[in-house]
Amino acid sequence: MRILLVEDDRMLGDGLQAGLTQAGYAVDWLRDGEAAVAALSTESFAAVVLDLGLPRRDGLSVLQWLRGRHDTTPVLILTARDQLEDKVRGLDLGADDYVLKPFDLDEIAARLRALVRRAHGRPEPLLSLGEIELNPASRSVTRAGQAVDLTPREFDLLHLLLENAERVLTRRTLEEQLYTWNDAVDSNALEVHIHHLRKKLGNDLIRTVRGVGYLASANPPPA
Amino acid sequence: MNPPLAYSLRRRLAWLLTGSVAAIWLLSALVVYQRAHDEADKLLDAQLTQVADTLLVIVAGGEVEHFVEELHEHRRNPVPIAFEVWHTEDGEARRLLTSPGHAGFEAGGSAGFSESLHQGEHWRLYAVQDDDAEYRVVVGQAHAAREGLAREIGVSLLAPAALALPLMALAVWWGVGRSLRPVNALAREVGTLDAQALAPLGESTALPNEIAPLRGALNALIRRVTEAFENERRFTADAAHELRTPLAALKVQAQVALRAQSSDHQQHALTQVIAGVDRMAHLVEQLLTLARVDPANQGNAPQPLEPAGIIAEVCADMQPQARRQAQSLVVDAAPGCPVTVTAAWLQIALRNLLDNALRYAGEGARIEVQLARSGDDCVITVADDGPGVAPALRSQLSARFVRGEVEEDGCGLGLSIVARIAALSHARLELGDGLPRADGGHGLAATLRFSSARDQA
Repeated sequence: MRILLVEDDRMLGDGLQAGLTQAGYAVDWLRDGEAAVAALSTESFAAVVLDLGLPRRDGLSVLQWLRGRHDTTPVLILTARDQLEDKVRGLDLGADDYVLKPFDLDEIAARLRALVRRAHGRPEPLLSLGEIELNPASRSVTRAGQAVDLTPREFDLLHLLLENAERVLTRRTLEEQLYTWNDAVDSNALEVHIHHLRKKLGNDLIRTVRGVGYLASANPPPA
Repeated sequence: MNPPLAYSLRRRLAWLLTGSVAAIWLLSALVVYQRAHDEADKLLDAQLTQVADTLLVIVAGGEVEHFVEELHEHRRNPVPIAFEVWHTEDGEARRLLTSPGHAGFEAGGSAGFSESLHQGEHWRLYAVQDDDAEYRVVVGQAHAAREGLAREIGVSLLAPAALALPLMALAVWWGVGRSLRPVNALAREVGTLDAQALAPLGESTALPNEIAPLRGALNALIRRVTEAFENERRFTADAAHELRTPLAALKVQAQVALRAQSSDHQQHALTQVIAGVDRMAHLVEQLLTLARVDPANQGNAPQPLEPAGIIAEVCADMQPQARRQAQSLVVDAAPGCPVTVTAAWLQIALRNLLDNALRYAGEGARIEVQLARSGDDCVITVADDGPGVAPALRSQLSARFVRGEVEEDGCGLGLSIVARIAALSHARLELGDGLPRADGGHGLAATLRFSSARDQA
């Protein structure tokens, strides 16, 4: 799950990037508002963690710009300001959640999971498809009640596919959502991960749509 | 020290007004009395001559029966006239007649007016005789009686004043009380002010010209106090907010360290935790410095001092840091330009300016510290050839917690501290173009401009 972190404080940004990466997110970190706008206008993220006091372009202005172009990417605001009007203003401008500094890393991770879940219109925390069940909070997967051991990357890929079940995801979308700018991506890395997932979860779950990408489906492929 | 005696403006005004009116009244009454006295004198003298002439005519004409009438007439006179008639025959003068109850004046005396002591009293006499000096008439009035008349006139003049004065005092008392009512109203209004939420007094009610400036001054004070109060409140809030980000960073880095899978990651996070504590310590230090730069902590009034020594000292302290960053720190400060500033404050200001330059100018930068006279002013400049600051941003930099757009993490208080010291030392902090860079741009120059002592006076 790739998220964009926009935080100008070096130490906090560094910590959040490391912490959210530990929590299983692919985190891209930018330090000013203009850079955030540039990134958001070309790429898609599962969520944005946005600080308000940013150089060059204020966080609220970034949020306003994002909502102005009908981008519904969930936005979690980080702020040192606890005035009610600040909070109201942020939420009114289209923020999905609001966290006051200093915060707990687990809380941020949990809120991000909830935001992503809600963004997909899914009220329950567990993802399931057929006999596969995925728990984003504990990062665990079961097949017919049996725990399945996945690498972090395999888990993220499965998470993405299940989150968008019954929809075809292009290679590019998958790569964009899985890897940060800092990750070196082999050209066939995606195929390797898909191969491992099929081996662990059965061949029927993930189907290849030739020339387009992949989809996870509980229904048998059309004859 | 005894508390100053309280007094009532109302009572004081009533006394003052009534007293001065009474004094003026008394003075004019005296003048009038004097004039009345003079007039009465002239009148009575005229009366004396008239009576004497008439008597002479009567006596010389032998009409003695008329004489009795005259006598009665003159009895009714408020100032009784005594008279005597002398007859001279064969060179011998004989008193022919005297007014009733009159013992007779001393013999002799010249014609016309004269003063005489008669039976222990002062008298005014008038003597006249007929052409052949046969009859001689002397008339006289006791001075005491004449004074009585003058006194009567005086009393009749003063009596209404004596009655009017208390009335006037009452009127003044009432009038002053009424005029001072707005003062009481203002006092009540000030009394109801809430110290926690000072609001200027309402300007809608009309006040007399004498009291309106008081309200104006009070309102100006209230506004200044409110502003200072608000400033402090905002500062506390800002400071608390500024602490939140480093606190968040500390917590996150500590959590990252706890969960790190590799020792490299853990090492990195823990290093960050330590750097974060250092950073917070610096922020707290700067906050305390800002709080200490306060006129209340200044002690004695600053004396003019030579900044060259302090500049050299601070620069020497900073040299090691400059060397570590391969920066050259050049000082050009000749004595001969005294400035009026608290020495400790000048040190703090210079340290902050130099710290900024060393921190933000980058590796290998050149930093020049200069003390120079510019007209009447003494100017201390810290200039660098670093990345500089866009002119539009310069004016914001001295605000609290505002940082430049730079990679280095500062707490955003350094220039606020310098600006505050400048403001309290009658100096100006100016940010301008610094030393030229190789690429044609300029670094930043921070200038402390101390006005000459003459300007401050």
